[in-house]
Amino acid sequence: MVSLADSGATVAPKKPTRRAGALNRFLMIVLMTIVAIWLIVPFSMAVLWSLVDPETGWNYPDLLPPSLTHLRWVEVWTTTALPQAIANSYMLAPTVAVVTLILASPTAYCFARYDFAGKGLAQLATLLPLVVPGFVLAIFFSSLIFSLGIYSRFLSILMAHCVLFLPYAIRIMTVSFGQVRQDLIDAARDLGASPLAVFRAAYMPALLPGILASLIIVFIQSIEEFAIAFIVGAPNFTTIPSILYSYLGYNFIRPNAAVVSLILVVPNVLLMLGLERLLKSANPAQTGVKG
Amino acid sequence: MRWRRTLLILALLTPGLGVILLMIGSVFYVAVMQSFGYYNLVGEDSFSLEHWEKVLGSKQFSRSLSYSAYIAVVAAIGSVILAYPIAIWLRRPFRGSLAISAVLKAPLFVPGLVASFLFLNVIAFHGVVNQFLMWIGITDEPIRMQNDRGAWGVVFLQLWKNMPFALLLLTGAVQSISDEVLDAARDLGAGSFARFRKVIAPLTVQAMQAALIIIFIGAAGDFAFQVTAGPTNVQSMAQYMVFLKDSFGRWNQAAVVGVSLMILALFGSLILAFISSVVLKSGNKW
Repeated sequence: MVSLADSGATVAPKKPTRRAGALNRFLMIVLMTIVAIWLIVPFSMAVLWSLVDPETGWNYPDLLPPSLTHLRWVEVWTTTALPQAIANSYMLAPTVAVVTLILASPTAYCFARYDFAGKGLAQLATLLPLVVPGFVLAIFFSSLIFSLGIYSRFLSILMAHCVLFLPYAIRIMTVSFGQVRQDLIDAARDLGASPLAVFRAAYMPALLPGILASLIIVFIQSIEEFAIAFIVGAPNFTTIPSILYSYLGYNFIRPNAAVVSLILVVPNVLLMLGLERLLKSANPAQTGVKG
Repeated sequence: MRWRRTLLILALLTPGLGVILLMIGSVFYVAVMQSFGYYNLVGEDSFSLEHWEKVLGSKQFSRSLSYSAYIAVVAAIGSVILAYPIAIWLRRPFRGSLAISAVLKAPLFVPGLVASFLFLNVIAFHGVVNQFLMWIGITDEPIRMQNDRGAWGVVFLQLWKNMPFALLLLTGAVQSISDEVLDAARDLGAGSFARFRKVIAPLTVQAMQAALIIIFIGAAGDFAFQVTAGPTNVQSMAQYMVFLKDSFGRWNQAAVVGVSLMILALFGSLILAFISSVVLKSGNKW
């Protein structure tokens, strides 16, 4: 009797599961085909275009370029402003990341550890930079800095980027500060720890993943940002996206655009993968501290 | 004691929220004032409605406004419609579901200009699409698809870039619906469409509205896709604004377009969010 009921219970739900499995496999194949078209084809075409031999070109009806060379990479590197743009972007982005983190932390601490009237509204207001269209922000920010008499492009873009990416840093750090355990803080204090020691023992382990995540996300966003870098920086201060724009605009040079696109995307993809791993490995550290 | 706490909270909020309010507020202030004839880089400041009259009276402006509104509506609604079934499919983890969702979300991390460039290669004269069309015999020679007049290229790019964002928000919302609720609906005889309409949609309406609002604002203010892949016979609002500023430094007129774009972004997205909730609620009464 018991065994019959048992077997009935185990067999009955199996059928739909198997069917769902087959359906998922089918959907998976369909999806992988779409993914190939979605990502693999466009990116491999960009790689091929960056390697096209200028002597032979890549014209209709050739399915693939007749010959490949790395000459474009050398040419773009030696004859254009790309090295300067890379230097600018990679100097700007880490500065933006650090300054944004410093600006965001007190507000995030306040959101995570204090209750006050209008907190919901204040949190909503931190999202403002995300809802103002980027080019409106860029153009009238440039108008603002002209009238304030600020002429350093680096400083101007730095200021605008910090404000633009503060919402991300505040959000991430609010979550992190929320994970700091009050009992650990109390315990450290009871044992007579100095404020610095309390910070190192109770705050740092919970904050570290958030700090790294905030730095990486703001860094990537700053490298990719186009509107402000283009409007405020033009024509003296070039970043990687503004160089790319120049190859996509009036003088469309496909192989050069391919080189710059890859230089822009590949480091960021690697950083994102690193971030993913970081967040995964960080999880046990956040929750594993037992009270 | 109480005022000390208030002071402390204000001090903590100043570097983050304070800086945001100061900067966004002053940018907004400069744009509005400039549209009424103040903050001129050259010449005297004086109140004037002339710039509003000039811009609002031009045909180019009304074309830009309706074009940007059209792109924004299609991008927002299209992304949500594409993302819903995928989010529901990925609701319960299965082998490979994590990999799928990672791949689908990849476009989130591809900058707009790079996305444009990748797309232009695919639809180029000897791009994959033309090669394929000729191979299956639909056409004898490659079709020119770049900068098409119907703005299909821009719409495609908007969906490519924004669907992952809608998916991100909707996956979270759909996953938070408990199995019991869906099983109960199934036991009561609800088919998959009824389950969507009566259970999933009402419970995920907030995430959907957030997706609609953010995608609408982003697409209404688009510059990169429009300039590289868009039709050449119409300008988007952002493109028109940059054009006015760059040609003869018509800052005041650019400011009029900028303020109009902010109004479009704000009210357009709110109206869309409102309509979507009304539609879902009326669907509930069927």
